[in-house]
Amino acid sequence: MTAAFELTAFGVCASIAVAGALGMTTTMSMFRSGIFLMASFIGVAGLFILLSADLIGLLQVMMYIGGFLVMILFMVLVMHDPGGAMMAGMDMAPLERWSSLGLVPRQPSEAGQDGHRQGEAGDQATATGHGGHAEPDEPRQGSEAHGEQAPAHDGAANAMPHEAHGGHGEHAARQHGHASHEHEHGGGHGGMDMGEMDMSMVTPVRPLAAWLALGVGIVLVGMLVLRPAWSVSDALPDPDSARRVGHLLMDKYMVAFEGAGFLILIGVFGAVLLARPSAYPDDASRGARVAVDAKPEPIRGDRLAPQAGADRTAGHASGHDTHHQHGGDAG
Amino acid sequence: MTVPLTAYLVVGALLFAIGLYTVVAQRSAVMILMGVEVLLNAIGLNVVAFWRFTAPGDYAAQIFAILVVTVGAVEMAIGLALVLLLYRQRRTAEVDAYADLKR
Repeated sequence: MTAAFELTAFGVCASIAVAGALGMTTTMSMFRSGIFLMASFIGVAGLFILLSADLIGLLQVMMYIGGFLVMILFMVLVMHDPGGAMMAGMDMAPLERWSSLGLVPRQPSEAGQDGHRQGEAGDQATATGHGGHAEPDEPRQGSEAHGEQAPAHDGAANAMPHEAHGGHGEHAARQHGHASHEHEHGGGHGGMDMGEMDMSMVTPVRPLAAWLALGVGIVLVGMLVLRPAWSVSDALPDPDSARRVGHLLMDKYMVAFEGAGFLILIGVFGAVLLARPSAYPDDASRGARVAVDAKPEPIRGDRLAPQAGADRTAGHASGHDTHHQHGGDAG
Repeated sequence: MTVPLTAYLVVGALLFAIGLYTVVAQRSAVMILMGVEVLLNAIGLNVVAFWRFTAPGDYAAQIFAILVVTVGAVEMAIGLALVLLLYRQRRTAEVDAYADLKR
């Protein structure tokens, strides 16, 4: 392995890992979060292989991507709003706006009866090519949903267009986000109704969390940089390290290995026991199995749908991306 | 080994910070579990990097990394089962709605 190749591979893998994790935490769509997380796992697996721990790299791909990520995506698709169509276009920091590009916000209160106006909103968002520009629609929809909160919504309506123009820095955007998060929190006690639900993906402590993570990252990196170097060994590991690890697993660390296997067995039993539907028909967990809308919204831009109409013509402009997002939504 | 140990550790530190932010800032329980996965990835990266650079002859570090992945798998299965159970009963996966569990 030449030096140039190693440097290039490290740069690519490290940037994929970090950028994937950043995209995972900043995008508004949970489905996209899963895909970004997969990118991050692949980057870390590449780093493992660069560190000549082939077995761990393969294990990373097989366990994390083949196992965990499928589990996560399955869970995400059961949830409400997995495609982030309701959260897109709410208050977003610049990084969040970038990783949520192309998400077209849908307006749940006008969903069925006003397909034409919905199509207009979609056109506007697509024409500007920027998910954030659909934000001025959101306060209008929100104030229709609950009119008694009118003053708070006016405040939000004043804040949103400033943010959409992008003239402020990230700090200002965060302040706006904080303010409107507080307002959402005040109005979000409605319960299960989609129009009143607090639909934001992040908590009101997001600025605090961002500063905390930034501080932790700076302190960790600073400690790493300022610390005197570790005593690095020049010895090369066995190129067939998987064989060595396998021998260790079956020989010296057999008890730990069996213990881990037993732990997985107990965990699987526990998971099945927890997630299994209750045997009692009047149990509350039996009534609400999955989140199915009582009147599902028609998929815009779906060419396979038999019924044509205003929805279909309005949805044509939105194109394939909308189709994809709503397809994930419907799943 | 043209890439120094510190570079790998810096990547691990960045992943750790991002995972911490996700766990604190996200509202959905599934997203919090994703953040925990990123934290475990950072830990595994640190372990393997230290193995490679300080004790490449001792393969116990890889055993430890395998155990970390195993514990992550169990945590993931149990966590997702709990979230599924709570989601069935409450129709929401947001951890704010689970605050009355501690009463």
